[in-house]
Amino acid sequence: MEEQLAELAAQVAALEGASAVTNSMFAETFYYLSIPLMVLIHAGFLAYEMGASRLKNVLSSGVKNILAFAFMIPTFYFFGWWVYWAFPTGITLSAGPAGISGAEYASSIALGWGDAAQYMGPNIADQASGVFFGAFALFAATTASIMSGAVIERIQTVGFVILAIVLGSFAWVVAAAWGWHADGWLVTKFGVHDFGAAGLVHAVAGFFGLGVLINLGPRIGKFNADGSANNIAGHNMPLTLVGLMMIIVGFFGFLMACVIVPGESWSWFADQPATIYGTPITLSALSFNILMGIAGGIIGTWIFTKDPFWMMSGALAGIISTASGLDIYFPGMTFIIAFGAGAILAPCANWLQKRGIDDAVGAVTVHGTIGLYGVVMLGVFASGWPALQGAAGEVATISLWGQIVGAVVFGLLGFVPGYAVSWILKKANMLRIPEAAELAGMDTVKVPIQGYPEGIPASATPAE
Amino acid sequence: MGFPYSEVSWSVVDGAMFIGWGSSLPAITTAISAVICLWVLIEGNRSEHKRFAKFEGK
Repeated sequence: MEEQLAELAAQVAALEGASAVTNSMFAETFYYLSIPLMVLIHAGFLAYEMGASRLKNVLSSGVKNILAFAFMIPTFYFFGWWVYWAFPTGITLSAGPAGISGAEYASSIALGWGDAAQYMGPNIADQASGVFFGAFALFAATTASIMSGAVIERIQTVGFVILAIVLGSFAWVVAAAWGWHADGWLVTKFGVHDFGAAGLVHAVAGFFGLGVLINLGPRIGKFNADGSANNIAGHNMPLTLVGLMMIIVGFFGFLMACVIVPGESWSWFADQPATIYGTPITLSALSFNILMGIAGGIIGTWIFTKDPFWMMSGALAGIISTASGLDIYFPGMTFIIAFGAGAILAPCANWLQKRGIDDAVGAVTVHGTIGLYGVVMLGVFASGWPALQGAAGEVATISLWGQIVGAVVFGLLGFVPGYAVSWILKKANMLRIPEAAELAGMDTVKVPIQGYPEGIPASATPAE
Repeated sequence: MGFPYSEVSWSVVDGAMFIGWGSSLPAITTAISAVICLWVLIEGNRSEHKRFAKFEGK
């Protein structure tokens, strides 16, 4: 009998061990697969921006976007990842209540030297750090891509890369530390809830872009002497539309990476998935709401514009406007909020344009304005809900006031560094290309190959 | 670089398993990578402005 019990105990232990291995591999694979999906966001932005550029600038727009990705990864490795873990409690860099924040903690896990290096490279005992780093680095690349589209056809390459580094490896990371991390002061003190990063990624990047655009100025020919605007059409609208669709595909990866899987030592729970705040979430919830958000955004823009560019931008706006509450919205509510975002999209972009801002792809509106709209909408509909794992009274609750505070902080975290750094670059003559180069086209000036060496032939079909 | 564990066998590896673990190599390679990025930005900016000047006939 004792022998049988011992054998049974050994079998149970073996099963538990096998189950733990399976769970760890699942968790690692879950985040690993979110990374190439998020690369699709970058591929989409690449196509989107090149399509929105005129023929004379098509490749330089691509070069700029590719370089943003390339510089984002190492700079996020050098210091961006450290910033995320160091800053949650604010600029004091002190440890928070969850015990996973502050300069000391960050320096123990997120530096590429010393003892911390064991978590920043191959380690058989650590199947989490690399995939989390990868997912966050791709979030960072997304912010850079958002800003990238707004400034096409007149920005210097290196000046742009510097701005991308400031945004992707610092500004949005501080926003994430404050509004996403369980120790983040916006979360613990104001109950800010932004599950899918409507504010801390999209609004930060959008308003960073606005700060840059003010110093960069409009493209030559965009505005007439009386202040009225001309439409500067890109050379390939179908490419732009396909790019936007690729971005949407990538956002399924972005949003799945916002889920904390169960059963690991770093998980919130052994038996259920959670948001980054420890509140309940399922991939089914995301499936319902992302799809309804996309649909609402497209329909909202179509009814008011009939323009395929705004329809696909509306799809993005649909996701962004509901991103803060994708974990708790009912699909019908998601559709309504996304429809509202789609409906206000083009008027908001036109309002900005009337103030002399030349945002070539509407990034400030789609990501900035709609990002803030999304953060505030959750405050309207979810007031009183616990913002973190726990009960009301024990943890901060979501409120309209808290979400408004969060929206203002996110907007400022984008706008202030965007404006300040671009102002410095402008003074250093590193922001805008010379007028002659802009008129001739940036590809002619600084790209050694042609986008369409054989030209783009016109249709041979006779006009009817 | 030498194997970072006292016994040269994969069977004893229970943590970090990259070349240079436990030495100053990670810090050196990280620093060199950062310097390369910085140098590329400086050189890229110089090259970009040279092209602008050439284009404008200066």
